[in-house]
Amino acid sequence: MTKENRGSIQVIDCQILAHYQFAGDQHILTMDSPEIAKATKPGQFVHITVSDALLMRRPISIMSIDAENGTFDLLYKVVGEGTRQLAERKIGEVLSVIGPIGNSFKMTNKKRPLLIGGGVGMPPMISIAQSIKDSDYQPFTILGSEAPFPFDEKAANNAEDYAGATHTMPLLEDWGVECRLASLQNYEGVYQGYVTGLAKVYLDGLSANELAQVEVYSCGPHPMLVAVAKLAKEYNLPCQVSLEEYMACAVGGCAGCVVKVQTESGPAMKRVCVDGPIFDAALVF
Amino acid sequence: MHNNLKTKFCGMSLDSPIVLLSGCVGFGEEYTRIQGFSNADVGAVCLKGTTLEPRLGNIPHRVTETPSGMINAIGLQNPGTDVVINEIMPNLDKTETRFIINISGSSVEEYGEIAKRFDDTDIDAIEINISCPNVKEGGVAFGNDPDMSYRVVELCRKNTTKPLITKLSPNQTDIAHSAQRCIDAGTDGLAVINTLMGMAIDTRSRRPIIGNNQGGLSGPAIKPIALLKVHQVYQVSKHHNVPIIGQGGITTVNDALEFIIAGSSTVGIGTALFYDPLICNKINDGISQYLIDNKLNSIDELVGTLTLNSAISQCDTSSDK
Repeated sequence: MTKENRGSIQVIDCQILAHYQFAGDQHILTMDSPEIAKATKPGQFVHITVSDALLMRRPISIMSIDAENGTFDLLYKVVGEGTRQLAERKIGEVLSVIGPIGNSFKMTNKKRPLLIGGGVGMPPMISIAQSIKDSDYQPFTILGSEAPFPFDEKAANNAEDYAGATHTMPLLEDWGVECRLASLQNYEGVYQGYVTGLAKVYLDGLSANELAQVEVYSCGPHPMLVAVAKLAKEYNLPCQVSLEEYMACAVGGCAGCVVKVQTESGPAMKRVCVDGPIFDAALVF
Repeated sequence: MHNNLKTKFCGMSLDSPIVLLSGCVGFGEEYTRIQGFSNADVGAVCLKGTTLEPRLGNIPHRVTETPSGMINAIGLQNPGTDVVINEIMPNLDKTETRFIINISGSSVEEYGEIAKRFDDTDIDAIEINISCPNVKEGGVAFGNDPDMSYRVVELCRKNTTKPLITKLSPNQTDIAHSAQRCIDAGTDGLAVINTLMGMAIDTRSRRPIIGNNQGGLSGPAIKPIALLKVHQVYQVSKHHNVPIIGQGGITTVNDALEFIIAGSSTVGIGTALFYDPLICNKINDGISQYLIDNKLNSIDELVGTLTLNSAISQCDTSSDK
């Protein structure tokens, strides 16, 4: 590691400005930090001290930023003791946050990014959407969830029907980013099936020229990422995935959060925190 | 840096008694990603455990939180001695701090060979890790056998003139005896203690959470154990002027002071960095202030100043009559 990375991550006491609970023990947390709002790139995360009772921090992806007001949003689901205690934090409380951390998604010359997020893997996709909403990219977003979506899904303005998927996430609609939803549950206007099933419907509707402009970006549960990577391979599309792993330091010091990656010189254990969390799917799965 | 924190350790001049511990700070540069963190704020940095050949390390999960601590089983992932010497060491900024390489082998000869390789470099010291609990061969297998410990240290001593620090395992019956053997074999300093072996189980899958099934417990949970071990080792080491890096769960200024009073010349910080990456200056400030408040000119005047209680009255109730 060279000295050019020095000082790239900050330790900041951030105040909680909003904390909403949604069905399925999902929460959206808004925190005050002009520094993090300014520095964050899509796919990066923060490492949070969730309470005085738990010493280890918890890594959580940044979903969106509000550069004007200097805030950032996190979406998380209660899955263990750390997120359980985070869910108890109230507006006005101050938490120690390290961030922003990690590499970020690379936007390439492929102008049709296909963003696929599942469950609490949605935030990095929303983060990408926000970063390219005013550019010449034409993203298509697929969000999947088996719990009720942590937003009030509504019919998309463009009324395009992708095998029953007509509804979208209001935030993405406001940004002008086309989005459709998938779930095995029977939700109105939502594709009934896996995100990869809906992705096929979308991809099969593209011309050969359009297909050549697609790059897949994904984050979600491991089995979903395996399926997305397989789909990308079938369609011969490049695919970047965001991974997670139990993490201690989050700055590359402890090598606790590794994932096995294929490299030119054979397999290597790469750190999710600073070598990732974004990896080339073809090298991981 | 506070002038009263300057100290000598195994011949090295340190600006602070804080040593950043092996396995927690990569190869020295990783924590500098944090704004406000500087290696210049610590006396020395112990680099990641290094073996002769590259190692991929253990499968995930490698870390998990436990009450007041964490379990890790990294498995000595490292790029091997040659890469460390040729590609990593040239980039270390030696104007900032002292760098100590931590070495591990699966045989006595391997330890000796690595020590010999680093003897030809400008590394400041070598820490012999005979206490890693997370590898199948070597590591703690040497540390828990005082005679094997002796042989490892003896060969390293033969192969290098660098200061040698031996990192002792708490997972053994008599750590003071082991310390004595390492001193006899020629170690210049002792690091007390490495992690304690532990386990955590996922009750849903009924499998160990850690990929390696078991791992090393660190953090505040082990501090009282580490403190006692330092006290026990100091009873031996003080007679040979062999200094100790006291380590194991140090998270506050008071923790650091306890270790110094028990006999540590320097204090190791590891897991606490994961909680607060900017903890070092808080501990520097606190130790410095304590020295001033207690009219002590240096750390040396505080090391090993513990006065034991006379524990004879606990069963004696006669005086109450």
